[in-house]
Amino acid sequence: MRTFLLKRLPSGLLVLALASFLVFLILRLIPGDPATSLAGPDASPAAVEAIRAQLGLDQPLFGQYLGWLGRLLSGDLGPSYAIGGQVADLIGNGLGATAQLALGALLLVVLIALPLAVAGATTRSRPLAAVIQAVTTAVLAVPPFVTGVLLVLVLAVSLRLLPAGGHESLLAAPDLALQYLAMPALCLALPSAAVLARYLKDGIERALAEDYVRTATALGVSRRRIVWRHALPNALPSAVTVLGLQIGHLIAGAVLVERIFAWPGLGQLIEQGVARRDYPVVQDLLLLVVAVYVAVQLLTDLAYAWLDPRIRWE
Amino acid sequence: MTSTTLPPEPRTDRTDRNRYLSALRSWRGLTGLALVGAAALAGLLAPLLTGTDPNAQSALALAGPSAEHPFGTDDLGRDLFSRVLHGIGTDLALIVTAVPVGALLGCSAALLAATSRWADLAVQRAFDLLLAFPGLILALAVTAVLGPGRWPVVIVIALAEVPGFGRQLRAGILVQREREYALAARVGGASRARVLLRHVVPNAVDPLIVQTAVALSLGVFIEGAMSFLGLGVRPPEPTLGSILSQSVAYLATDPTFAAAPLAATTALVLGFTLIAEALNRGIRR
Repeated sequence: MRTFLLKRLPSGLLVLALASFLVFLILRLIPGDPATSLAGPDASPAAVEAIRAQLGLDQPLFGQYLGWLGRLLSGDLGPSYAIGGQVADLIGNGLGATAQLALGALLLVVLIALPLAVAGATTRSRPLAAVIQAVTTAVLAVPPFVTGVLLVLVLAVSLRLLPAGGHESLLAAPDLALQYLAMPALCLALPSAAVLARYLKDGIERALAEDYVRTATALGVSRRRIVWRHALPNALPSAVTVLGLQIGHLIAGAVLVERIFAWPGLGQLIEQGVARRDYPVVQDLLLLVVAVYVAVQLLTDLAYAWLDPRIRWE
Repeated sequence: MTSTTLPPEPRTDRTDRNRYLSALRSWRGLTGLALVGAAALAGLLAPLLTGTDPNAQSALALAGPSAEHPFGTDDLGRDLFSRVLHGIGTDLALIVTAVPVGALLGCSAALLAATSRWADLAVQRAFDLLLAFPGLILALAVTAVLGPGRWPVVIVIALAEVPGFGRQLRAGILVQREREYALAARVGGASRARVLLRHVVPNAVDPLIVQTAVALSLGVFIEGAMSFLGLGVRPPEPTLGSILSQSVAYLATDPTFAAAPLAATTALVLGFTLIAEALNRGIRR
């Protein structure tokens, strides 16, 4: 297991290092100068120079990059340029809400995909199989912003079951917080759930066609036990890889879903940062996204190796 | 009797074309073609089908469907029929520009990767790097530099498609290169470049056809998402995403506002997805 990790770690770190440099460089390509825009239209050149020196923008580019990395490693993210306050505080405030949304969505992905896949792979009723197929295709095809609008129309406007948008602290009012969380999490989860259900269903179907399933059937093992104890575990490794790739979509989708449902998370923060050209906020958040993505890919590889012992002994 | 198993012969062009055609003649393919065809026709003929200027405002705001305004009007009193049709046109123009660029970049990278081990490593890391900025995050990074607008949308869609096309072609080349016909061509004296371009690549493009249909639907996704975040084509020019994001504020009071852009976006994306599925089934058969 350790050699496996050692083999995978370097490429992940390389991607992370390249991404950090890219993020840093991209934001230095912006035509407008943040010192000028911070100082205001009437500022004297001396005042602009002073702000530039204060932000460290007068340093050579590579020095700025190393300085940024060094401060990141020491946990000091510095002040934001335009939004106000420390970047670390801003990120800390949004992180909780986004983590709630992402974990809620991830849970829903598994809860929706697993029964759909098992039912789709094992049912002998043609209409049910066709319905499952149609539902996954439709959910897969419809963009999350369309699902979001439809969910609001049906659940909030027509049936008045759930609030159309907003956020409540999970600690202060758990029941209310879950009501607010339900729709955004569902909207975020549906496309990934459809992808996962589809791969898992294919995997289970392939496993059910294997010889060991026939042997187990011949030995009198119940159908349910064959599906859950034999076919499903063999379909899981590839499904986990798919789930890992979907996490990238969940992160990106969160930005959109937070916008539609007025969810006060990191997506709103990065959007604000881009609109107001707040370099530190944008570059730290972009790097955070890439870091989470790389970490998830690594975890996916580990989970794959854990679920499929053949990989470990390669 | 000795039995030898021969690898399946590489297919000739003629049967290939028939395979795609018959795949498109399945119910999925036909439904997909009908949906995309209807939407595309409406978008391309928008100036002829609608007499009204999509950006002309009037005092009649948020009206329901009527004979004069078949889809009603938006919050600024603009005719939604005209805006949705022109919006489809804008979306298609953006996607049809961006997807080929992304495909070309991805395929060039895959060809480069086929030249040496080092190039392969470099190209793979480049794909990893692009994938580490999933869709909308890439959109945020690009618009942080360029600001919102038409070209950033094209650039984001193109960049987002690069790893998809590149990885498919790279995987195809890796499989086909080991087949006996490729070896035979090499033994027959063909240069490496000729084997790659004339023998291997033509047999590795099947997945790319499916990928194109997937990429087109992804383009509609990205345009809409960028418009929702205010990173897309600048107003007042209509796009499907911008009309839909505008309608969100009025969902509770005027749900008919959202109906037409919802239907048009769904038709377009569902159409591309159904075509992709039909082709995929046809190729696997």
